[in-house]
Amino acid sequence: MDIFPQIGIINHPLGSMACFLYFVNIEQNPTTMKLIKLLVLLALITPGVVSQDFDRMRENMVRQQIRNRGINHQPTLRAMRNVERHMFVPRGQERRAYDDGPMPIGYGQTISQPYIVAYMTQLVDPKPGHKVLEIGAGSGYQAAVLAEIVDKVYTIEIIPELGYRSRELLKKLNYDNIEVIIGDGYFGLESEAPFDAIVVTAAAEYIPPPLIAQLKDGGKMIIPVGSPFFVQTLMLVEKKGGKITTTNLMPVRFVPFTRNE
Amino acid sequence: MNKRIYLSIGLLSASIIAFQLNLMQLLSIIQWSHFAYMVISVALLGFGASGTLLALTRNWFIRHLSWVLPGLMMLSGASMSLIMMISSTVFGSFDSYLLFVDRAQIINLLITYFAFFIPFFFGALAIGLVYLHYVEKIGPLYFADLFGSGLGGLLAIILFWFFYPAQLPAVLSFLSLLAGAMIIPRAYIYKFIVPVIVSLIMPVTLMLYAPDPPVSQYKGLSHALNLPDAEVMIERSSPYGHIHIIRSSALRYAPGLSLSFDGSIPVRDAIFNNANWFGPVIEWSREDSVHFMDYTTNALPFVLNEPANVLILDAGTGLFASHALTRGVGHVTAVEQNRVAVSFLKNELAPMMDSMYHLPALRPLNIHSRSYLLKDTTQYDLIVLPTIESFGGTSGINALEEQYIFTLQALDEMWNRLTDRGMIAVTTWMDYPPRNPLKLLATLCETHENNSDAPLEEHLVAIRGWATITFVLKKTALTGAETARIRDFCSMMYFDPVLLPGLDTSERTRYNLLQDDDFFLFTDRIMSDEREDFYREYDFNIRPATDNKPYFSQFLKLGRYSRMKEIFGHSSVPFLEIGYMVVLITLFQITAAALILILLPLFSLGWKGGGKVYTVLHFSGIGLGFMFIEIILIQQFILYFGNPTYAAAAVLSGMLICSGGGSLLSSKLNANKASIARVLLMIIFFIIIYVLFLVPLLRLTINLPLVARIFFSILFISPAAFFMGMPFPLGLRILSAENRTLIPWAWGINGCLSVISTALATIIAVQAGFIWVMLIAALAYGFTLLANIFRS
Repeated sequence: MDIFPQIGIINHPLGSMACFLYFVNIEQNPTTMKLIKLLVLLALITPGVVSQDFDRMRENMVRQQIRNRGINHQPTLRAMRNVERHMFVPRGQERRAYDDGPMPIGYGQTISQPYIVAYMTQLVDPKPGHKVLEIGAGSGYQAAVLAEIVDKVYTIEIIPELGYRSRELLKKLNYDNIEVIIGDGYFGLESEAPFDAIVVTAAAEYIPPPLIAQLKDGGKMIIPVGSPFFVQTLMLVEKKGGKITTTNLMPVRFVPFTRNE
Repeated sequence: MNKRIYLSIGLLSASIIAFQLNLMQLLSIIQWSHFAYMVISVALLGFGASGTLLALTRNWFIRHLSWVLPGLMMLSGASMSLIMMISSTVFGSFDSYLLFVDRAQIINLLITYFAFFIPFFFGALAIGLVYLHYVEKIGPLYFADLFGSGLGGLLAIILFWFFYPAQLPAVLSFLSLLAGAMIIPRAYIYKFIVPVIVSLIMPVTLMLYAPDPPVSQYKGLSHALNLPDAEVMIERSSPYGHIHIIRSSALRYAPGLSLSFDGSIPVRDAIFNNANWFGPVIEWSREDSVHFMDYTTNALPFVLNEPANVLILDAGTGLFASHALTRGVGHVTAVEQNRVAVSFLKNELAPMMDSMYHLPALRPLNIHSRSYLLKDTTQYDLIVLPTIESFGGTSGINALEEQYIFTLQALDEMWNRLTDRGMIAVTTWMDYPPRNPLKLLATLCETHENNSDAPLEEHLVAIRGWATITFVLKKTALTGAETARIRDFCSMMYFDPVLLPGLDTSERTRYNLLQDDDFFLFTDRIMSDEREDFYREYDFNIRPATDNKPYFSQFLKLGRYSRMKEIFGHSSVPFLEIGYMVVLITLFQITAAALILILLPLFSLGWKGGGKVYTVLHFSGIGLGFMFIEIILIQQFILYFGNPTYAAAAVLSGMLICSGGGSLLSSKLNANKASIARVLLMIIFFIIIYVLFLVPLLRLTINLPLVARIFFSILFISPAAFFMGMPFPLGLRILSAENRTLIPWAWGINGCLSVISTALATIIAVQAGFIWVMLIAALAYGFTLLANIFRS
């Protein structure tokens, strides 16, 4: 069924019907042909089904969910525009890929809300030439966003199934500057240290001392705090001249009622 | 009438109530207890639905009673096992966490509801049919039902020790099958051979091939099992929950560890209860001079001074106890009610922790922490409360959990247990928007004010790390040397003081910055005389919990919900307090369903006349009143016995059996206005006695030995329960004399209201307190009384 550019169209009821008709009797019946054209046209104009639509949805996502919420770091915005988020979500869920929320990817993990990914990216201030370590590859989406900006991204995934899946996907999408390592993120990656930035996507109750050690002086580490479906704060850890400070930043500002008065 | 029907009804009721408790346990493992509660509430509507069906098709059922009745009981039994067998395929894809992010989950939820509804529906249909047909014998029949239910509760508790939750339905199936088989009429014996065999196949298969419960991927146990080389070392089922002890090469535990710690964090085993995190197995040795807890804010009380006698409440796996022992404390009392977990720590896991639980310096106790506080008279230098919340929050899953050690009354008791240099220490995870630290601070402030005239700011200290905040309330004022030690400790550990005498505001964010100063503005307002205003103005409920409203983790103000929705978005807002949201959703769902079930028969019975108003008022009033009192009594006796599981079983069974006795005796009474009125007046009288005297009487006798407490609990429960068993059979007898067609409808109404009451009682308790639940129960019986007096 390669005649249709995206699997999205097959998922769409009208698209599937069109495919079915296509294979049934396309040659014999010119009326059917017309019907197919009509159905394909209908399928195309309904939301979220082919690649142009994904492009448009992504553009909307960047504008409405990310820029309007105050993310103004140009490289981050560019990266969010470039990475095809729908490729990173579970099969059959592509049409929801650009929704304003996290999505489950199995093993108790999620692909984070687009805004959180953008916010975390902006906070570590990635630059060309940087070397970044990510703990918890998950879907591979955050690594791809970072890889659009920096030179090299190492990402460690503890669940082998997720690791293999993201490694394969990132390879297919030609992210040659990402290395997916399957292992325990606790130890970081001593051989490639120090890192300009460390992005921890699956936070634990403690921050592994090896990660602090592998952070470059002046480097930044970011950790989301909260449940898989509700990130309460993002914790930025900075190392300057041996002193370590943390800053809690709120993805969604809660302005108490008392202060409105 | 076949005399065996009494036994059959008793067996069926026992099986149904035990299955309900079994489901509660199983669903708590697969998902969360609040979800279990939601599913079971809907499933119990099977009772209401059976009434509706009987009201509509009464004649057919009565005509075929002889074979339908055993058939229904057997269907109920067989479906218990069948549902469990297919559970992993049907419910494996359902996750309550996804309910708010994935609409497709709603279909899965409906299937789950429907599946669990079936056994209850068939069982209730059988009971309702018996009541309808043999209404003249309703007194002894209802006795058999209640007595069976009472024993079923006890039976479940015993069986929990011997069977895994996914296996137990097989045993309960047998009970229902037996109930059905014993009343098969002789004429039908040959026709029943095949159905009996088919029905037996289900439990036998389940017993042999019980499926693994499909535990949600978002639960702690699933996360741990996803880790490399994860294996289950020990698995044990008991009334205290289902315990797993897990080992993995990547399982580490060091909550809120200082960023200045540069050692390595060792791999540890961990204990999970009902698939939720219970605690780490600390590798401890009496030779240790340093403990990783020294690098957390929890070390604060030991920075202040050297306590000699320490009490640790809800001690879990002994983390704080091991810390205290490493710090050289001579007497550590660790109170933990989960007997099974502690037994593992004492025995199987003892070699890993240097037999810590056998040291003379450690005194482990198996009792509810609050019950211990109520009984104990020892004086302590330090009382340590368990850490509140967990990293990243629990999404308010515990919102409706009664936490009796965080109430003002509990804190007062702790204060009275302190020596002159005594301290109370408690740690909480920082959250956003701030809730837990604020409520904790408010609780400590009020405790100090209730017990001392000294200036608060000299007695209360708090320090904050990157993730946790620890408070210490001290009986004596902080000295200059102590504040200096705290400052040194903070700079060594990259922590910041939040409350400290002579604190400069710039010290509060030297290492750990916040996006704005709100948190400090809030803490300062709580410390000031503006506290009451702040409670009122703040978007979340941070007023301290009390014994009357013991919900420390309940923060959501219903009136501010739409504001929260605006701020956090409709898909995130449920995760602020999922526990409370689910009960609200449950109440809404079951009320809507109950309305339909109650109204539906009226299309056939007619809308007017024939005592319908009376039927509605009488049977809904007693359904609501009975459940409200049952819930209150269970709640009150938990502390009295110091063990929630056993207390719940004992109260439930005791109450049902006493009510059964009342029902039996009611057959000696005339079913008329005067006798019902007298019974209802007695019930109202006893509820008022409860409101006035129950709590003081329980407090007065809590120190007595167990046998005496059992005696007193029977004394307290039995009179009210006895009378509460009478209005139902008396009401049915009145209907049987006046309008028999209403009997199944009444059965349905009573069933529906019983279910609505559990959700409603919870919401009333959260919003207004337990006293109001009792008062409303009295009111419900009051309305029933009026309905009876003015019955035409």
